[in-house]
Amino acid sequence: MSEKKIAYYPGCPSATTAMEQDMSTKAVFEKLGIELEELEDWNCCGALEAGDPKLVIALNARNLALAERKGEDIVTPCSICYYNLARTDKALREDEKLRAELKEIDRSLEYNGTVKAKHVLDVLVNDIGLDELSGKMMKKVNLKVAPYYGCYLGRPPETAFDDPDDPVLMDQLIELMEAENVPFSYMKTKCCGGPLMMTRADIAFEMARKILEGAKNAGADCIALACPLCGMMLDAKQPDIEAAFKIKIDMPVIYITQLLGLALGIEPKKLGFNKNIIDTKKILEKVM
Amino acid sequence: MIKTWELDPNFKYEIMNEPGGEHLTACYQCSTCTLGCPVTEIIPSYNPRKIIQMSLLGMRKEVLSNADLWICALCQTCTARCPQDVMICELMGAMRRIAEEEEKAGDIKIESPRPLFEKAFLHTLQKYGRLYDMGLALEYYPNREGSKIKGMKAMMKDYKDFGMRMFKKGKMGPLGGGGVFKGMRPEKIKEREVLKKIFEKVGEKEK
Repeated sequence: MSEKKIAYYPGCPSATTAMEQDMSTKAVFEKLGIELEELEDWNCCGALEAGDPKLVIALNARNLALAERKGEDIVTPCSICYYNLARTDKALREDEKLRAELKEIDRSLEYNGTVKAKHVLDVLVNDIGLDELSGKMMKKVNLKVAPYYGCYLGRPPETAFDDPDDPVLMDQLIELMEAENVPFSYMKTKCCGGPLMMTRADIAFEMARKILEGAKNAGADCIALACPLCGMMLDAKQPDIEAAFKIKIDMPVIYITQLLGLALGIEPKKLGFNKNIIDTKKILEKVM
Repeated sequence: MIKTWELDPNFKYEIMNEPGGEHLTACYQCSTCTLGCPVTEIIPSYNPRKIIQMSLLGMRKEVLSNADLWICALCQTCTARCPQDVMICELMGAMRRIAEEEEKAGDIKIESPRPLFEKAFLHTLQKYGRLYDMGLALEYYPNREGSKIKGMKAMMKDYKDFGMRMFKKGKMGPLGGGGVFKGMRPEKIKEREVLKKIFEKVGEKEK
């Protein structure tokens, strides 16, 4: 990894529901000696609620252009923000007419495709690399972990950076920190139900329940994930899911950057371990 | 039974003209989409293959007024597995936008609150440049429930425990997190003028 400075696109949940993901991402990169420089005045990517692809492209062109003017690649911890940034980058690289149209709307939307949009997980494993990381491991994370990838890391094919059916990047990080991956392949890439939460909570709850109980049945101490919407569904909504189905799950849900931070010897508070909704005490006790 | 004289042979072209709908006619009905769908697993009557076949046949009104159009979770599993690259998630998006136009014209009634949710989401985005949960909820719930009072009640029900949980962790509510009103107040970006221009030029259908 040559560059030591990357433009950081935190995404909207970083300020509220996914604070611990934001905190741990910053702490991990700081420890690795890479400067994350937050993009100034970034706007929301439109998530999955901006249905019109042209609107998504215009919204994300502004963010890509902000990074391009600084000459830095852009990295985000959110799977959906990543999808929107990456598909916009691809669409604009391929379509000169579209680039011209955007420039017409406002000069600040001029993007020439000279930077890359990446997800934090991709940067950690594929750019920084396992070799480099392995030399920096300070602690053994003595946990059984269910690595949960969700939707937008391994699909759709146009933006994916991991395998669609059996993704491995988180598994590799978990092995590196000497933790154990529990058998979880059949659940790794199932949708958490997040996008249906506000309109069909009944379906969303059932989707999340399957993943949570799947992790529990596989003997996991915690679920590791890399998307704030999955975090919201599996962690913040977990007590609601327990109440709706009259079940007890009590499964800690930890962002992969939080776990990696522990292995790198960063103190738990800096990684936001007091921010996860399901208590993380049991997790921290097992880190040596 | 299908009444052949009521079919609209141009419906497939209407969909294919909408961004995301371009690959519709490549579908050869193998059902890979439906077999892998996590929503079908829970709601067995949900059948994306069937929606595609109905579209190809020209069952315009049945497709556009079908509530099933709105329960796709956009998880991309079907899109990733489709051997014919039909891009089913994007196709659903195209059909949803046609259905919204049709509702505006007064020809159908959409039996899902999803369009109201998307509108409320985009309104906060347009106004502030970032997602503002509280503003979104204050617009969405009353619209969904049909009145302010019913909306507030529904919102309280969903947010009572959840909000307290967030508040205790300093993620939402007065005195939480980094500021006195973190999560209660919108974060505004400076260049909101640019967003206004974007929504004027490419967001017509989203207003």
